[in-house]
Amino acid sequence: MDLSQYLEIFIDETKEHLQTLNDQVLILEAEPDNIDTVNEIFRAAHSLKGMAGTMGFKRMQRLTHDMENVFSEVRNGKMSVTPDLVDTVFKCLDAVEEYLSCIVESSDEGENDNEDVIEALNACLEAGSGSAPVVEEAEVVVEKKEESAASGADKRKFLEIGIADFEKNAISEAKAKNMNVYGVTVYIDENCMLKAARAFLVFQGLEKVGEIIKCVPIVQDIEDEKFDFDFSMIVISSKPIDAVKKVISNVSEIKEVVIEDYEVPSDAEVTSSVQVEKEKDTDKKEDTKKKTTASGKSAGKAVANRSVRVDIEKLDVLMNLVSELIIAKNGLVSVSNQEDSKTSMQSFNEQIEYLERVTTNLHESVMKVRMVPIESVVNRFPRMIRDLSKKLGKEMELIMTGEETELDRTVIDEIGDPLMHMLRNSADHGLESTIDRLKIGKPQVGTIWLNAYQDGNNVTIEVEDDGKGIDVEKVKASAIAKGHITEEQAEMMSEKEAVELLFRPAFSTAEKISDVSGRGVGLDVVKNKIEGLGGDVEVTTKLGEGTKFTIRLPLTLAIIQALMVEVRDEKYAIPLNSIVTIEDIMTSEIKYVQQKEVINLRGTVIPLVRLDEMLDCPPREEEPENMVVVIVKKGDKQTGLVIDNLLGQQEIVIKPLGKYINIHKMISGATILGDGEVALIIDSNSLV
Amino acid sequence: MDEITVVNGAKQYIVVKLDNEQYGIDITFIDNIVRLQQITRVPKAQYFFEGVINLRGEIIPVMSLRNKFDLEPKEHTNATRIIIIKPENNAKIGVLVDEVREVVTLEEDCIEKVEYDDQGMNLLGVGKYNDTLISLLNIQGMIQELDM
Repeated sequence: MDLSQYLEIFIDETKEHLQTLNDQVLILEAEPDNIDTVNEIFRAAHSLKGMAGTMGFKRMQRLTHDMENVFSEVRNGKMSVTPDLVDTVFKCLDAVEEYLSCIVESSDEGENDNEDVIEALNACLEAGSGSAPVVEEAEVVVEKKEESAASGADKRKFLEIGIADFEKNAISEAKAKNMNVYGVTVYIDENCMLKAARAFLVFQGLEKVGEIIKCVPIVQDIEDEKFDFDFSMIVISSKPIDAVKKVISNVSEIKEVVIEDYEVPSDAEVTSSVQVEKEKDTDKKEDTKKKTTASGKSAGKAVANRSVRVDIEKLDVLMNLVSELIIAKNGLVSVSNQEDSKTSMQSFNEQIEYLERVTTNLHESVMKVRMVPIESVVNRFPRMIRDLSKKLGKEMELIMTGEETELDRTVIDEIGDPLMHMLRNSADHGLESTIDRLKIGKPQVGTIWLNAYQDGNNVTIEVEDDGKGIDVEKVKASAIAKGHITEEQAEMMSEKEAVELLFRPAFSTAEKISDVSGRGVGLDVVKNKIEGLGGDVEVTTKLGEGTKFTIRLPLTLAIIQALMVEVRDEKYAIPLNSIVTIEDIMTSEIKYVQQKEVINLRGTVIPLVRLDEMLDCPPREEEPENMVVVIVKKGDKQTGLVIDNLLGQQEIVIKPLGKYINIHKMISGATILGDGEVALIIDSNSLV
Repeated sequence: MDEITVVNGAKQYIVVKLDNEQYGIDITFIDNIVRLQQITRVPKAQYFFEGVINLRGEIIPVMSLRNKFDLEPKEHTNATRIIIIKPENNAKIGVLVDEVREVVTLEEDCIEKVEYDDQGMNLLGVGKYNDTLISLLNIQGMIQELDM
């Protein structure tokens, strides 16, 4: 057992606590007198401190300790919440987050002491309460003493430890050698998060100064956290009693250590208690054995951050469906045993239908298991908007709806950065400064909406602001100045097309570059990322009234709708979402531009790509008169893919092609068709 | 497999045939041997890959040992087999061979190490079994070459 096995838990829980802290401090900023919130913050800070200490992250522990001190004062009404304090606390949280990301990367907290943050905290503390903390601590000590005095006798739980014969021998041997035998009972703080780790540290410390010959509950149970807040030991040590006590109390979050010289109880007592203890022990051992074998398999190597927390209900549904699947299979078996061919044919069909229903449901449930609420991404945004508000000197608020909307885990992981970028954009470029807003008679506080909702097989996320909107003429001017378009083109452009210019690389209309946004790496990256996820972005804007970015994302990436096509005698799948139309073209309509084949389709010139050539298919003996062209798009660019035959639309499951084979980037994967045949999936994005 | 006692230092090989040469594949790498099934061509892959197959819902790339060793292509027959090799934990690769002969056990002293061979890292050595010679394939070497 070592601490690294707790690291995962630590990281997860620290993230949770940080999120709670961020949320609660935001609330606190709005309602400085909310005592529930203060309590919540205090608890979270306290847990953080405790966990950091357990894991040996001293710097993080110190920082969170000071934070806890501050909130302890606030809680006791000795300090009031000031904007300064909130700022400092947020800085603190950022620092903790920094530690955490260091820990995630290298399992070490890094070297940054964050002295300035700690000083700022202490300054707040002093400004708010003077010398109060000292008094506070003294009080606590007194309380503790009273407590221990009151229940002192009962605390010596080690007296209840049953001693077996061989242990008795060991004790008397040790005494003969002039070693000390101590009975120890350790009480762990009730608020401790990782009590097993605490206990482990106690064991580790004790092993340096002596030998633990007996422990109740048994070590295995302690490791599994199967104990209350105390455990007792018999320790043989050459060191004096105070030294041993010090070793134990050096471990943090230990509430109390009761230690005394240990005498072996009289025989009668021993045997009876030993008997009982033994029975208990064997019970427990069996219990733990079962537990370990059960957990042994699943334990393995956990890969950080690739896990999904699944609602137990979803798993139950899955289990039910699997059992139904088995029933359906059994049904088929019994049908195949029937002799009468006519009835068997009918019940066979029934069973197939049943099977179909079950598999559809099964598919749906498995997909649901992979779904994560979008909340896990967006919950850090209120904090971000608050910081931006301070930084930019604009008053703004963020209103979020539909945080419970679920998306596939793989999409969730990728969507955070683009969303953050768009929010920053709205805050920086979208909203006017507070003064400007007042001048034009808008509400003083700018509003940004983040709405998410499910829409058929898509999830839509809207980022909307009530700011100044996009000035189309300014965009055009900027595009001309940067050489993206000519003046003639600009005149021809519709408003919509002009707005689309924003998604071009290296395009920003902000006059000055701030560190919030406007470095020109912006919306094009957002667009690329979202298109990479199989989604798209759209902008609608009204000058003076606001801008709305609409992101549409597919619910899942593993299963897509595709058009099945044939090229010679091979089957390929083209994802449906990239297809614009399918056209029947006469070979004579093909024109040439710079020796490349193009067609003129209702006024648009579209380049042609012959899939058979791209895919190295054997050439056709003679060119047919007609050919089928699938028009695909990437952004606003279109390309026609020449194929031989259309087979129809189908829902396909994307599978990887295996590790060793090199695949061209125009093939994005493969799928298995109904008859077991493998069809490759064409990535039309790479052909446009 | 349990009834065949393996002497210390001896390894078992599956013997496959290409033309009239015999090749041995270390049995510990082998996951499965399947009959020839429909292979879907993958355009622009390495020249020795025939394509991919669907093995019980998993897509597995299949390479042809003939192509790999620059032998003349030959019609697939009823004896053609795909040997599914599992060089790593979560990756499989199929190897297309003309025929699978038998399983042999070779003691270490029956194997003559090859100092070099003109096909790069393909061979580990040559095993002598009864009166025949078996070229032992260096699976790990071949896989490493693919990874590059």
